[in-house]
Amino acid sequence: MPNPISNKGRTLKLTQNALDLNWEEVKTKITRFIRDYVEKSKAKGIVLGLSGGVDSSTAAALSAMAIGGNKVLGLMLPERETYSPKDLKHAELVAEKFGIKTEKIDITPALEALEKTIPVFDPEDKLCKGNLKARIRMLYLYYYANKLNLIVCGSSDKSETMIGYFTKWGDVAADISPLMDLYKTQVRKLAEYIGVPDEIVEKPPSPMLWPGQTAEEEIGIKYETLDLILYGLEHFMKTEEIADQLGLQKDLVEKVKRRWQMMEHKRRMPLTTKIQYRTVGFDFRLPFT
Amino acid sequence: MKQNFKVALAQISCHKGDKKANIQKIEDYVERARRQGAELVIFPELSLTGYILRDELYGLAEKIPGQSTIAVEKIARKYGTYIVFGMPELSEKAQATLYNTAVLIGPKGYIGKYRKMYLPTHSVFEEKRYFRQGYQAEAFETELGKLGLIICYDIFFPEVSRLIRLEGAQLIICISASPAVRRTFFETLTVARAIENTSFLAYVNLVGIEDGLQFWGGSRLIGPNGKVIAAAKYDEEDLVIGEINYAEIGPIEAFVPTLRDLRAELFDKLKEKTEKL
Repeated sequence: MPNPISNKGRTLKLTQNALDLNWEEVKTKITRFIRDYVEKSKAKGIVLGLSGGVDSSTAAALSAMAIGGNKVLGLMLPERETYSPKDLKHAELVAEKFGIKTEKIDITPALEALEKTIPVFDPEDKLCKGNLKARIRMLYLYYYANKLNLIVCGSSDKSETMIGYFTKWGDVAADISPLMDLYKTQVRKLAEYIGVPDEIVEKPPSPMLWPGQTAEEEIGIKYETLDLILYGLEHFMKTEEIADQLGLQKDLVEKVKRRWQMMEHKRRMPLTTKIQYRTVGFDFRLPFT
Repeated sequence: MKQNFKVALAQISCHKGDKKANIQKIEDYVERARRQGAELVIFPELSLTGYILRDELYGLAEKIPGQSTIAVEKIARKYGTYIVFGMPELSEKAQATLYNTAVLIGPKGYIGKYRKMYLPTHSVFEEKRYFRQGYQAEAFETELGKLGLIICYDIFFPEVSRLIRLEGAQLIICISASPAVRRTFFETLTVARAIENTSFLAYVNLVGIEDGLQFWGGSRLIGPNGKVIAAAKYDEEDLVIGEINYAEIGPIEAFVPTLRDLRAELFDKLKEKTEKL
């Protein structure tokens, strides 16, 4: 008789199939969500950063499908160090295909001016400098949003959000993040499904914070593996079981788990301490839309 | 008592926290349903206010009968229909103790209410944070037969439907606010509750997006043999009418005699095992 408490044979199977979704349904849900939010907020449309990568291309395409490309503005915000004609070309390709309006602004002068005013600025510290770029892009997006009554649509995916692979108040800053419940490999599948050009779907992801940066090299795992680890953690699986099924060192899975847990500070409003009757972030609970 | 009548499944989305606008919508749907001959019009769970209200529930809840039920009574009188809808109820004896309640109103006025017994507090649900659970399954005598009320998650617990069936309800009305990821559960359980109780079952779900949750609609009227008599669209507002003929129950009850075969002694065991889970 099987031991009813044993986990054997009762755990989820961590294969790529686990991440498969009905993409038509996902597309419908996301476009409906975007349309509903824009309507309820009485905004005139959407502004988003268009990097030429798979996430922002997908977010832009879905926004256009939801409310019409003429109401979507894609900002291309290159800067000197990471300037990539190929990425700009990809951004333009997506804009053209989905009928999105674009504007290209070189952020280098703003970045350099800002760097000069920071007494502790360290040009060698590429992470701090990279984060500055992401946050400057956020300033542009929100200026357009304020000025033109637009919603900022983020393009963060679930993989990056879970492990905190983003800039706090930078690329993640948005009013809505319609892709945040899809892992990176799922975003790729969805992108393919809705017709984002293959060359964008297939290229290695990069936050473009410094030259030559690629996400998978920096994180140290391919997204195909990372996503299955995260999927296992999402489903309350033990790290031993995940490592066992994926043929990985337990330490690696533990590392991903710790990273996921430690990054909560990047996903929430700043923590305060409770002093009064109802408190923001604790028990001040209001509906969103 | 009528053996034969039409029931309308009014699958609406709600204006968040705007009772006036929602009562207006209730009236619009009742008017449309009445024109199509419906004598009973059913609205989703918490359709007076919308489902996700969080702390705003305290300010929106009302005693029953109260201002809003009186407004819906007027609609029921005007159109000569029975109406079922959901609302946050404020306890008669306390100041901030709420129930998630289904209200039944008839052409002659208020008939009764049912307070949700099973309050989901897991995943995206936080009902126990705000609501006190009900303690009484409810079925009400009407011109349309005995009507039993349940709410959403109650359907996962067959004993609630069974209790109202044993009270004599031949129509189980389940009002709901179910988000899309749970569709297959409800599509199965609604049919199961109808079959195992040899009763009609009217399921009316919310649509629209509240706080990022997409409610899937898919309201349906199911016959005692599990057949779907009428089905509303997925994800969109809809009004569908289905016909109930209680005479259909008899032959099914003889064919699948679940009521005849019900074993009372098992319920003591259930009680014992549940306490020790």
